[in-house]
Amino acid sequence: MLIRPRLTDFHGIALAQEDADFAIPFFDEDLPLYVDPFLMWRSPSQQDMALHGALLTAFNHLGQLAVNGKQDEAINALIAASECDEVGLGSSGTRRGKRIGRNKAEEILAIFRRIPRYAAHGLSHIEELQFFVEGISKDRISDFACSFLKSFLIDFTIDQCNRLGIPLEPKTVPNVWDPRSRSFIVARTTLPIDPTDDRPLLLVPKRWLRFVPWISYEDYFEKHCPQDEISHEPENLTRVEVLNYNRDNYGVVAAYIEAKERAFEDAKNDPLFSQIPVRSARVKLTQIKKLPTGKTDGADIKYEAAVGQLLPSLLYPNLDFAQLQARTESGVSVRDLIFYNTQRAPFLQEIFVDYGSRQITFEMKNVAAVERTHVDQLNRYMADELGRFGVFVTRTPLKRPILQRTIDLWSGQRKAIITLTDADLEQMVEVFDSKQRDPLDVLSMKYAQFRRNCP
Amino acid sequence: MNSRNDVERLEKIIGQLQGLHVEISLLAKKSPNDGVNAFKLRLINNVIALANGVLGPNYLPFGDFAAFDADDVPSTSDVALVLAQYIEEAERYRSDNVIYYDYNWFYMVNGKASNIPSGPPSKIGKK
Repeated sequence: MLIRPRLTDFHGIALAQEDADFAIPFFDEDLPLYVDPFLMWRSPSQQDMALHGALLTAFNHLGQLAVNGKQDEAINALIAASECDEVGLGSSGTRRGKRIGRNKAEEILAIFRRIPRYAAHGLSHIEELQFFVEGISKDRISDFACSFLKSFLIDFTIDQCNRLGIPLEPKTVPNVWDPRSRSFIVARTTLPIDPTDDRPLLLVPKRWLRFVPWISYEDYFEKHCPQDEISHEPENLTRVEVLNYNRDNYGVVAAYIEAKERAFEDAKNDPLFSQIPVRSARVKLTQIKKLPTGKTDGADIKYEAAVGQLLPSLLYPNLDFAQLQARTESGVSVRDLIFYNTQRAPFLQEIFVDYGSRQITFEMKNVAAVERTHVDQLNRYMADELGRFGVFVTRTPLKRPILQRTIDLWSGQRKAIITLTDADLEQMVEVFDSKQRDPLDVLSMKYAQFRRNCP
Repeated sequence: MNSRNDVERLEKIIGQLQGLHVEISLLAKKSPNDGVNAFKLRLINNVIALANGVLGPNYLPFGDFAAFDADDVPSTSDVALVLAQYIEEAERYRSDNVIYYDYNWFYMVNGKASNIPSGPPSKIGKK
């Protein structure tokens, strides 16, 4: 069993998120990022600009339908477009979202009648909806974009899967926008699936993803909206009041959009993982070195927290962080960091080939000395999927008898347990700062040292 | 030393060892635990390999050391330490092969004073 499986790792494909063109989806949860259509608009690529155009054409078409008396057709289409489960973006823990209701759809379509510019020319960015309709924010914008561009996303997914060798299965995908008939259709195609519930998955280009859209309500409210003018008590200003004001003062919103368009150079996609800065890495290291061993004053929790922040950054992009795992074994709470083995470096390939490690576990032990029971715990945990390679992150080097025990484990069962001490963490931080070597080299050094001790 | 070439090879490695030692010591003073990158390590290993050849078994600082292993991620202070030992041994080798002749110090080639000038052995003046 893989811990927090990803699509690629599930199929045995070693790919670092850094090297992928798309956000690698998890099976059990959403990625906390959103498609920002502005990134398509500002892209130098003609394809992305054309996709943004197609998105707006489709959306404005629904607006026109509503204005021209085909309200029901427009409402149904809008409801269909309001959720795109296949992409798995947002904050849901289940990869399933809720569609908007009929009333909300009517409210959205009403702005095409209420605001003369939209009646005549339509929206120029679908993010503008946030300024007029309550309950529409980054997640809906992202879902609308994905629904209207689903056809492109299907092609993108098939292309990426074929390149990487991810298996595809015939699937029926509902709500694919067909620009010819200007309606949602059901498409039969082949897509990768989520094995936990057999539903199709769509991959999304990394270059479109942001945590918060470039044009966002919060940004507008904070920096652009004339709060004094809307209410004499700005501290009690509610979102509804601002939205009502916006409807009557389209010019204010238009000015904000123009300002954001002018600053398009600054709109960049957000990385899926950002390393902590060198300075904070040093601070964490200092914290770790000052901590006493044991549990006094929660030292173990602090140690685990600091190592948990330090290691994922030091080892990125060679090892993608999967999750911090807490389990109880023989009444003892054990906490470890699990990483996906991306096989990006020769050392990691070796670990995969020799020990079958698709994931690597780092067990954190804030103890004065690692004992037999600790080695036994980690040994039991190093099962088939997790591979037969494990790392202790602890304070001091292993004592001779314990080291001998790990060597015996290698001799008997070909399992490798290596140790990262404070001194090793220090060296990792040092090279993380100086960039002279990769912090992963320290891990590979420890492994080389371990193997030299083995018979 | 058997020929003029031997003298030149010795002088070359002394210069190189000292140059490297100065550079690496600067890094080691700043951050002794920092790793030395693969490019620098390759150059340092080249110089050490030359030195191993020139010094021969009698003057090697460490019997079991031949070169740095990049997989060991040697730190700047490790490298500085080893280079310092090589410099010491190279100097001992030179000291044993110079002779005072005609009010000057010269290298000895084939057991006789040559016309290649050198400095006094560092042993002189030491107790």
